[in-house]
Amino acid sequence: MDPAHYLPLLLGAAWLVPLVSFVIIWVGYSLPQMAGKRASYRTSKLGAYVATGSIVLSVVLSFFAMFGVWLPSNPLVDATHHGEVLEEQHAEDGHAAAQASSPFKMVAAESESHAAGEHANNPPPKYYSGEWYNLCTFGKLKLSIGYYIDALTVGMFCMVSLIASCVHFYAMGYMHDELHDFTDPEVTLSNGEQLKRPGRYHRFFQYLSLFSFSMLGVVIAGNMAMVFVFWELVGICSYFLIGFYIERHSASTAANKAFIVNRVGDFGMLIGMMALWSSLGTFTFGDATDEHGNEVKGVFSQLRTEQNDYQLAPADSMVEEQTRIAPHSVGESASADGPAEYNTAGQWLLLIAGVGIFCGCVGKSAQFPLHVWLPDAMEGPTPVSALVHSATMVAAGVYLVGRFYPVFSPEVLLVIAYIGCITLFIAATIAITAVDIKRVLAYSTVSQLGYMMLALGLGGWVAGMFHLITHAFFKSLLFLCSGSVIHAVHSNDMTDMGGLRKKMPITAYTMLAGCLAIIGAGIPLSTIGFSGYYSKDAIIEQAFSFGSANPKHIILQWAPVVGAAITAFYMFRLWYMTFAGKPRDQHRYDHAHESPRVMTGPLVLLAVFAIGVGWTLPGTNLNVTNLLEQARPVGTLETTHGTLLPDLVVPNEHESHLDKFRVPAGIAAFGTAASGLLLATIIYLWNLLNPDELKQSFRPLHNWLWNKWWFDELYDYVFVKPTLVLSGWMAKCDLKFIDSILHGAAALCRGGSQVVDKLFDQTMVDGTVNTFARGTWDFGLWLRKIQTGRLRQYVLFIVVGTVLLFVAITFVQGYLTAS
Amino acid sequence: MFELPLANLLTEPVGVAHYVTVGAIMFVCGVLCMATKRNALGILMGIELVLNGANLNFIAFGSPYLRSDANSLGLDGQLIALFVIVLAAAEAAVALAIALNFYNNYGTIDVDRADQLQG
Amino acid sequence: MTLSEPVVYLSLLVFLPALAALVLALLPKVTDDALKLITLAVTIMVFLLSLGLMRQGVGIDFQAGVAEMQNAFSVDWIPSFGIQYFMAIDGISFPLVVLTAFLCVPAMAASWPINKHVKAYCILFLLLETGMLGVFLALDFFLFYVFWEVMLLPMYFLIGVWGGPRREYAAIKFFLYTLVGSVLMLIAILMLYFNSDLRALDNDQLVAAHVVESVEAARDWRSSVPDLSAEPDRMQNTFNILALQQMGQDPDLDLFDDEALFGKSIQWWAFLLLFVGFVIKVPSVPFHTWLPDAHVEAPTPISMILAGILLKMGGYGIIRICYPICPGAGYDLAYFVCFVGVSSMVYGAFAALAQKDFKRMVAYSSVSHMGYVVLGFGVWSAVAGTSYNADYWKMGANGAMFQMIAHGISSAGMFFMVGVIYDRVHHRDLDKFGGLFAKMPVYSGLAIGIFFAGLGLPGLCGFIGEVLVVLSVWKYSVVLAVISAAVVILTAGYILWTIQRVYLGAEYKGPHGDALTPISMRELAIAVPLLVLAVVFGVYPNCVLRYMQPSVDRQVEQLAELTPLFEQRESDANPLGDDEQMAAR
Repeated sequence: MDPAHYLPLLLGAAWLVPLVSFVIIWVGYSLPQMAGKRASYRTSKLGAYVATGSIVLSVVLSFFAMFGVWLPSNPLVDATHHGEVLEEQHAEDGHAAAQASSPFKMVAAESESHAAGEHANNPPPKYYSGEWYNLCTFGKLKLSIGYYIDALTVGMFCMVSLIASCVHFYAMGYMHDELHDFTDPEVTLSNGEQLKRPGRYHRFFQYLSLFSFSMLGVVIAGNMAMVFVFWELVGICSYFLIGFYIERHSASTAANKAFIVNRVGDFGMLIGMMALWSSLGTFTFGDATDEHGNEVKGVFSQLRTEQNDYQLAPADSMVEEQTRIAPHSVGESASADGPAEYNTAGQWLLLIAGVGIFCGCVGKSAQFPLHVWLPDAMEGPTPVSALVHSATMVAAGVYLVGRFYPVFSPEVLLVIAYIGCITLFIAATIAITAVDIKRVLAYSTVSQLGYMMLALGLGGWVAGMFHLITHAFFKSLLFLCSGSVIHAVHSNDMTDMGGLRKKMPITAYTMLAGCLAIIGAGIPLSTIGFSGYYSKDAIIEQAFSFGSANPKHIILQWAPVVGAAITAFYMFRLWYMTFAGKPRDQHRYDHAHESPRVMTGPLVLLAVFAIGVGWTLPGTNLNVTNLLEQARPVGTLETTHGTLLPDLVVPNEHESHLDKFRVPAGIAAFGTAASGLLLATIIYLWNLLNPDELKQSFRPLHNWLWNKWWFDELYDYVFVKPTLVLSGWMAKCDLKFIDSILHGAAALCRGGSQVVDKLFDQTMVDGTVNTFARGTWDFGLWLRKIQTGRLRQYVLFIVVGTVLLFVAITFVQGYLTAS
Repeated sequence: MFELPLANLLTEPVGVAHYVTVGAIMFVCGVLCMATKRNALGILMGIELVLNGANLNFIAFGSPYLRSDANSLGLDGQLIALFVIVLAAAEAAVALAIALNFYNNYGTIDVDRADQLQG
Repeated sequence: MTLSEPVVYLSLLVFLPALAALVLALLPKVTDDALKLITLAVTIMVFLLSLGLMRQGVGIDFQAGVAEMQNAFSVDWIPSFGIQYFMAIDGISFPLVVLTAFLCVPAMAASWPINKHVKAYCILFLLLETGMLGVFLALDFFLFYVFWEVMLLPMYFLIGVWGGPRREYAAIKFFLYTLVGSVLMLIAILMLYFNSDLRALDNDQLVAAHVVESVEAARDWRSSVPDLSAEPDRMQNTFNILALQQMGQDPDLDLFDDEALFGKSIQWWAFLLLFVGFVIKVPSVPFHTWLPDAHVEAPTPISMILAGILLKMGGYGIIRICYPICPGAGYDLAYFVCFVGVSSMVYGAFAALAQKDFKRMVAYSSVSHMGYVVLGFGVWSAVAGTSYNADYWKMGANGAMFQMIAHGISSAGMFFMVGVIYDRVHHRDLDKFGGLFAKMPVYSGLAIGIFFAGLGLPGLCGFIGEVLVVLSVWKYSVVLAVISAAVVILTAGYILWTIQRVYLGAEYKGPHGDALTPISMRELAIAVPLLVLAVVFGVYPNCVLRYMQPSVDRQVEQLAELTPLFEQRESDANPLGDDEQMAAR
């Protein structure tokens, strides 16, 4: 079968099936509701069946894509025999891809085969990319929905859809309370009663379907814009699912917190995207051909050109862009004409782009300093925690770092490593004191994500992604187990539990498997162990390799080792407190029971995966590492040096498997994990040390950890409160300042017009007119005096008048004649 | 030398100047009568005097016997005098009616009592 | 006189509501419901007429791929001043005309709760519609101004008579603010008018500006007016916007380049005055304070019109008049324009966060969202040093245009959603809501959908415009880009917080809780199309872009071609060199 044709088809279908399910549930349930029918469908499980059926279909399609299409056309090569073998295999891929053609204008970009040894760096992995749907085009700029499928995509599809379907099945049992009217024990109304509301069974599955669609969209995304679109969509699904109990104030607050903190990360991501977009003019990962048949270079091949031996170098357009923004930053290098590694042209922009994109990952993957939302997100129902907040969505950040790996310069990788290192340590320490079973797991998730980031930052791409896959299985298992426990005892608090092993054996032992997987239990220096053993050891090996190359950053070598001890301690503290010892709350213990089959089934399945996902399938060389090795990002198989930090060295990942790193790393990992486990056993199983006394003796430390390093309070004081105060000021500014100016201006106008009215109109204009009127009036009054009404007087006047007239005329005439 | 204009009237034959002098005297008498009499009928009489004084002038100026030059008014003077007589009669009728009415209202014909026309 | 003549079709489109208003005024006693029904029918007819433009073969056609003005016609109106009844339609005005005609339908449908002086209300509503459509279609500056004012008065009465408790204050504030803008605009119009000279254009330009029909007619016309070289003072002034654009953009002409005041050219001042006039309408900080008051006091349908259409006139003016007529000034003032846009975005978002009144919050969100529009138009990102590339500017301008349409849908929807609960409980205090989801599930679902469209969630209309604008800004100014990107955090903050306070939660905390009945069919019929459009525009932006993009792109290209000239001029005037300016930016 032609993978170029079938892979997009299969994975595209697997991606869209949950969307269809979402729409079906929405139409099937929302339309009757709009029409006013409210109660009839609530008790129906149909929605759950549709959602579960769709995700199972996705699993089938994904696994078929993996085993029926991908693996036959891309046979695995044993990772331990890299070198020439790899080169040859890539060369073959190149030929295979060159013959590929597709109705989707697919381009299987692959370099021409090179003579082994001419280039030390690895060429781009085999991938299929193309475009499904064009959102908008502006000249050469284009935003579209497309796909980029390589071994990592296929692997992630299998992992995500598999875990999602386990969670779907599990949730069918876990959420059965929602089938009928639901009394929420955590919400007390103002009249003192508990809130009673209709169940929302179907809505939960509707959200799960939408989430599955969005998550698969992130995985299959063929360009950065599409990643961002689905990035936001998983965010909103997470918002809906965390806030599923919308009546609980804590839940809706946690949902808001999750979304807003993620937006902070997205803010950085937008900046990174802008930097890339403005300098490269494309978001597409892979190369493509436009309608004229010209090759359009994707982000990766623009930054790691074949001519440059796939080493990361800013594209010319990037140098130009940096020159445009900050002309002085490249001034000296342009004139110095020095060696390439000291040329900072475009490097700063590359750094901004890398760190910006990573910011988005920090938000989504709950890395320090944006890790605060994830523990609160545990307000959502437990299946959500298992699926969204441990296995898939929060891992999307790690996935994106892995996907975007070719763009990250060594400096960005160092930032990633430090962020991962800080996160893994902080989260692990907080997990020691938490007593809420889900919060322990949440901090453990944060810590493990830190491990992955650390691994990626140290150059251990396969190690990081491998840990992503193994962690997804064992962490979703752990969450589902904790959900099973919560379902049984109706409490999250571990101080209410204890001794549950006897009541719920399946849960207890599957969870034990999960615990062993997360601490990386295995026989040191052998190839036998739980899944976490392989991935975590790979990380620590890489850390040792990095540490030896960069003595300055030795802390990055030891942090994961210390973290391993803490992980082992808090995980077994959790297990012992829950399942071992004596029941602390007899009443809850008596009512506890093993969960129904629909819930334990997924537990067992996940436990199998948690144990064995790191193994090689007997008789083949099929294992996750080899699969991931197929997707190794272009140009990461060479030791690289920093440009802005010239003494930074990111070692070749394959070197970490050398014995000089493998042996000490394996021993250190085993030793620390064993010591952590031992300490937990001493305190919580054998009770040789009293935890309460320890708490007393380390009170300040306990307080510090119990309050989660005061991050929430710090952020509240530093960001939330000032923002609200500032917004208050701005709103007041409108009312008090701008409107005051307006009102002042209005008053001024009114006052001015009054003055004008007084001074000009009333005094001058009216005054003049009135004076005339008054003069006439007064004159009339005066004249009136001679109107005596006496006839005789009038006659006199006539006479006098006549005489005077005569005299006057005579005089005038005399005067005239005289002159 | 100062010469009284009317001095030689007595020495000349009767001509226009004499008529005019008599008319003037009648006119002045009429005016004085109007101005001094409080009795409405007296005033009427004064008016008649004034009118007839004027008439005398017209007749004098219109008479070819008195004025032998071509400047005489001719028949016009007599005609106007006739008009004046007619008008005087009409005026007297109206004025007497007013006076009667006035008397009915005030019980007197003293014109000083009639000051409603005062402004 | 058939519908296939532009003069008939477009006149009918514009004046049908006014005619209907006249008929309504003459009608004898009719019941209120009948009046509303008639008005609704008229708005629907106008909407169908506007849609008819899209459909080939019915009346006149609007060709989607054509960038130039289509269906132009001009009739002399006041010939002694060269004033014409001149209308045409292109990709910039067409989507706004359809949006206007569309939004009037749900707005009228939302007017059912109005029971006071229904006849007067309907008449004013229809007059308002005529004014708005006229503004988008008029291409004669004088005609444009007349329509601009015609639209103002009905709005004043609609707020002042049918508004809330402080309606007089709000109406007068709205009126005076807008009037100030109009006056500034009028000054600029006259400045341009008295400096324009049709004779300076060559024959092709005259034809392109629809001053004359053909090149031959242009020759005839030229022989009928005084010769330019012989009698330069006998200018042939014009109000024709297209001709003014030609004069402003022709690099060989300097009609508007004379110094006017303080060493700045006529076009600099004209641009500034026009821009301030339009920005008052948009509204941008600091000319925005009429908006919250007007919105809070206006009845729901009028809020919908106000936010959905009236604000767009400012943006339309900027892209249709400011930039094409005064490109040089636009280049000089690009940073100012962008700064105004960004400060509105930030300020509006912050202020929205602090509001206690639901409608005020939505009003401030409008200020914030319309900031994207100003920013998108202002991004003169063709300035790219060595090799300029207008693609980013195209993206910004198209994004801004799209944002206008998207905001028209989402803000009208948001105001309607506020109106629905205000009709029920008669208060808008955000702290006294809660738990609406349980009482009004369908309504809450729709409302949350609409609010997410405002938040800019992918798949809904707000996202496309915002992303296009924000992504294009970097190319112009990194600082502004970073600030504008930061607004996404604040937007999420105030929208989610509002949703939490109003829709989520256990129980309703305010008065009249019993009145919270489920959404009625009429309300559903208004809300559902709005949400559907929000989704359609979000996932299929090309359905809008295919109409507007050719025109916007063409205009951007024309202006971008002038950019090297302006750069040259700037560097001549400022011999210090580009470095300082770059650093300053």
